[in-house]
Amino acid sequence: MAEITFDGVTKIFGDDIRAVDELSLHVDDGEFMVLVGPSGCGKTTALRMLAGLEDITSGSLSIGGTVVNNVLPKDRDVAMVFQNYALYPHMTVAQNMGFALKIRGQSKAEVAKKVGEAAAILRLTEYLDRRPKALSGGQRQRVAMGRAIVRSPQAFLMDEPLSNLDAQLRVEMRLEIARIQRLLGVATVYVTHDQIEAMTMGDRVAVMRGGRLQQCDTPQDLYDHPRNEFVAGFMGSPPMNLLRVGLEANADGIALVLGSQRLDVPTSYCSSHDLPTVDGPGVVFGIRPEDVEVLDASSSDSIMTRVERREALGAEILVHLSLVDAEGDNAVIVNDSGAFVARPTRLVAKMGPRSGVAVGDQIQVRLNREHFHFFDADSGLSLRRNQ
Amino acid sequence: MTLKRRRQLAGVVFALPAIALVVGFIGIPIGQAIYYSFTQWNGLTSTWIGTSTWTQAFHNTNLWTALRNNGLLLLSVPFALAIPLCIAVLLHQRVAGWRIFRSIYFLPTAISWVVLGLVAERFFAYQGTLNSIIHALGFSHVSTNMLGYESEALIALGITFVFTMIGTNTMLFLTGLATLDPSLEEAARIDGAGRWRIFRSITLPHLRRFIQLAFVMTVIALFSALFSLIFVMTGGGPGYATTTMEFLIYETGFNQGDFGTAALYGLILFVITGIVGVVQLRLIGSNE
Amino acid sequence: MTTLMPPKRQRKIGRWILFGSMMVVAVIMLYPFWIMIITSLKSESQFLSGGGFSWLSWSTLTSVIPIGQEVLSSTIVCSSSILIILCVGLPAGFAFSKLRFRMSTVVFLVIVSAMMVPLQAILMPEFVNVTKLGLTGGYFGAILVYAALGTPFSVFLFSTYFRGVPDELIEAGIVDGLGYFGVTWRLIVPIAVPAIATVTVLQFIQIWDDLLVGLLFIQNTSERPITVGLAVLSAGRTTSIPALMAGSIVSAVPAMVVYLGFQRYLVKGLTMGIDR
Repeated sequence: MAEITFDGVTKIFGDDIRAVDELSLHVDDGEFMVLVGPSGCGKTTALRMLAGLEDITSGSLSIGGTVVNNVLPKDRDVAMVFQNYALYPHMTVAQNMGFALKIRGQSKAEVAKKVGEAAAILRLTEYLDRRPKALSGGQRQRVAMGRAIVRSPQAFLMDEPLSNLDAQLRVEMRLEIARIQRLLGVATVYVTHDQIEAMTMGDRVAVMRGGRLQQCDTPQDLYDHPRNEFVAGFMGSPPMNLLRVGLEANADGIALVLGSQRLDVPTSYCSSHDLPTVDGPGVVFGIRPEDVEVLDASSSDSIMTRVERREALGAEILVHLSLVDAEGDNAVIVNDSGAFVARPTRLVAKMGPRSGVAVGDQIQVRLNREHFHFFDADSGLSLRRNQ
Repeated sequence: MTLKRRRQLAGVVFALPAIALVVGFIGIPIGQAIYYSFTQWNGLTSTWIGTSTWTQAFHNTNLWTALRNNGLLLLSVPFALAIPLCIAVLLHQRVAGWRIFRSIYFLPTAISWVVLGLVAERFFAYQGTLNSIIHALGFSHVSTNMLGYESEALIALGITFVFTMIGTNTMLFLTGLATLDPSLEEAARIDGAGRWRIFRSITLPHLRRFIQLAFVMTVIALFSALFSLIFVMTGGGPGYATTTMEFLIYETGFNQGDFGTAALYGLILFVITGIVGVVQLRLIGSNE
Repeated sequence: MTTLMPPKRQRKIGRWILFGSMMVVAVIMLYPFWIMIITSLKSESQFLSGGGFSWLSWSTLTSVIPIGQEVLSSTIVCSSSILIILCVGLPAGFAFSKLRFRMSTVVFLVIVSAMMVPLQAILMPEFVNVTKLGLTGGYFGAILVYAALGTPFSVFLFSTYFRGVPDELIEAGIVDGLGYFGVTWRLIVPIAVPAIATVTVLQFIQIWDDLLVGLLFIQNTSERPITVGLAVLSAGRTTSIPALMAGSIVSAVPAMVVYLGFQRYLVKGLTMGIDR
C-alpha cells in the first residue's frame, strides 16, 4: 500500500497533442481518488501512465515515494481493472484471478488460498471453474475486480469498470467496489466519465478537462464550491444553471440584472467573493436546480419566470423556466459593451413530484440566497475568496 | 528503455523470421530473375548478354503458344464461376440432406490435382468414361480421344480445370449466401418479387464481392496451379497444345536447360499475376 | 400465371426437381472417387478388358509404389513446413497487428503481396539457390520453400485474427507481470487456436497435394512425397493403372479426413477478410 504522486506529469502524443498537461495530484495511502471528466480529457491517459502502459513525456510520477517513470508495469505492483474487463478467455475464473501470482512464482497452494479469499469477498466461489464466456456481465466485472484484489497491490487502477453494465447493476457494483476498497484500504485511482459515480464513490474527486486538472476536492466541496464554471456545470445532474448577468447598485448593496428584473445579492457575498465593480463586465451567476423554489406569491427576493418545459422523473420534476420581463417577453441580457449576449436565459428547477406547474404558467421562483455562485465572466474562475 | 521502444523492439524481433523467410525465398529470387533474364544462364554460369534473351524470347513461338493457351483457358473462367454459383444456390435451398450434399461437393477439393489429373486422364482416354457415355447414348460409331489431339486437348484441360475449381468456388458462394440477410428476401417477396427477380436484384448484387474474389482466385489458379494437371494429363502436349506459361517455364528450364529464358518467362508470369493482384486490390479497395 | 396444380403440390414437385439436380451434381462430384475405387479393384488385364474384380493391385501395391516411404516423406515435409509457418507467421501476425513498429505497415503490405507471387515466376533462381545451398539432398529445401510460400498467407490470417483481439487483453497481461514473449506464449497462442487450426488445415491440404516443389526440390527418389511419386509414375506411362489408382486413394485419404474433420476452419480461412 502506498501513496501516489503526480508531479507536473505531461503526456504529448505525436508532436503536439497534449493529452495530459502538467498534472499534479496526490493520492493518499488508502484513498479512493476518482478522475472524472468528459471523454478526451486525459483521465484515462493519466491512469495508463500510472499503470506503466504509456510513457511519461515529462514530469515525475511516484508510487510509495519511488519515482516510477522508468519502471516497467510488472515492477510497479499496481493492479488494473479494464473497461472491457480483459479477462483471459482461455482460462477459468480461478486461473484468471491467480494468473499474476502464478507468474510471480507463488506456490500453487498459496495462489489457491488467495484466490479463494478474494472469491469469497466477491461472492464468486461457485463460479471459480467457469470460463469468462459462461459468466454474466456483472460476474465478469467481479472477476476483473478479483484479479486485482488477489495481488494485494500497492494501488488499484480502474478504468471505467462499470460502464459496460446495465443501469441497475451499475448502482449495485458502485456500492460493492466502494465497500471492497474500504475493506482492503488500498489506494485506488478510479477513472469515470459519470459524475454520479464520482460523487458517490470517491473520497476525493479530481475533475479534468482538456488534459488539465480543474479541481480536486471531496465530492461535497466540489459540489458546493466548484472552482470554475466547468466544474460547476459538469458536477450535478441536471447541471448548475449559469447565467451571464450584469451588476447594479441599489439601496442595500448590489443587485443582479436579469432583464428588466432585479435580484438583490445578500451583502455577505460582497465580503466572501471578489465581485466586480458595478457597471463592470458583469459576472456569471450560478444557481443549482434544487436551489430554485416556486413561490405562491411575489416577494422581494423572487423573480418572474415562465414554464417552458416540464420533465416528470417520478421522484422529482424538472421544470425548464425562462426569465420573463415585465412585458412578458423572454429576457435579454445586455453585456458591458451594450451588445446582446446570446446566452440562454433559462433556468432549470428541481421540484417536488406533486408540484402542479404546467407549461405556459408564469410563476414566481425564489433562488436560495445561501447558495449563490459567482464566476468571472472571462476566465470562468470562481470569485469566491479562499478562506 | 521506454515502453514504446520495448514494444517496437518486440515487434521487430517477432516479425523478423517471417521477413527473412519471405525476402530470402521470394524477394531475392525476384531480383535474381530480373538479373538472369539478361544473361545466358545454365544454372551454374551466367554470361551477360543484355536484352538478346528478351528479343529471342519474344521471337520464340512457344512463348506465344503458351500465352495463347492461357488466353484460351480464360474462356473456362465463366463456367468455373457460373456452375459453382448454381450449385451454391441449390445448396442454399436447404433441402433435406443438404449438409451431406455440401460435404460431397467439397470433397474433391481435398484431393491433389495430380490425382484429379489422373482421373481426368482416365475420363478422356480412348477407353475412358467419356466414350462409354457416348456409346451408351447410342453413338457407337463415335469415339473421342481428346487428350491425343492438338485441337481438343486444351478443351479437355479446361473442362478438368472447371471441375477442380467447383468445390472452392461453391464454398465461397455458399458463404456469401449465408451472409445474406433473409429478411431482405422476405421484404422483396412481400413487395411482389418472383424468384428470378429476387435472385437478380438481391442475391447477385449481394454476392458481388464474393464473385469478384472467386474470379481473381480462379484466374490466379489458371496461371499458377495447372502444372499438376498438365504434368499428369498431357505433359504439355500434344506438341505444345496444352503448354501454359507455368509449364513452359518448367519445360524450358528443366527439359531444355535454358535457365535464363525460363527466368525471363517467370518474370512475364510475375507481371501477369501482378496485374491480376492489383486488380484484386482495387476491387477490395472499392468495396471498403 | 395460372396453373392447374394446387400450389402445395407444385412446391412438392419443385422440391423433387431440386433434390434430383443435387443428386446429379453429387454423382459428378463423386465420379473421381468412384473411378479410383473401381479401377483399383481390377487387375491390369481386367482393366484392359473392362470386366472382373481383383485385389491384386492392392496386395502388390507396396511393390509397385514405395507407398509407405512416400506417405512418410509427405508427412515429414508437411508437418515440418506447417510447424515453421506457424512459428514464423503467428508472432509476425501479432507484431503487425499489435506491436506496430516503424514502417510496419509497409513491411506488412510487402509480405502480404508476396501471396500473389506464384512459385513458377521465381522457379529458376529459387531452384538454383536452394541447390547451391545443398538443400535439395534431403527434405530441407522443400520444407523451407513450402514454409516461405505459406508464410505470407499465415501472416495475413494471423494479423487479421489478432486485430479482433482487444488491446486491453495484452495490457492486462503486461500489468499482471508478463513481457512480450510471455504475452505471446501464454495469452496469444492459446487465444489463437482457431486461427492456428485454419492455417494448419489449409496448408496441410496445399502442401500434401502439391507436386512442383516436391518434384524439383527433393532430388532423392527415395525421399519422394506421395503426390510426386504418383505423378512421376503416371508420366512413365508403363505403370499399372489399377495400382496407380490404389496409390491415389491412399494419397487422398489423409487430406480428405482432415478436410471433412475441419471443414469449418477451411471455409473460415478461405473467406478470411471478406465475410466481416
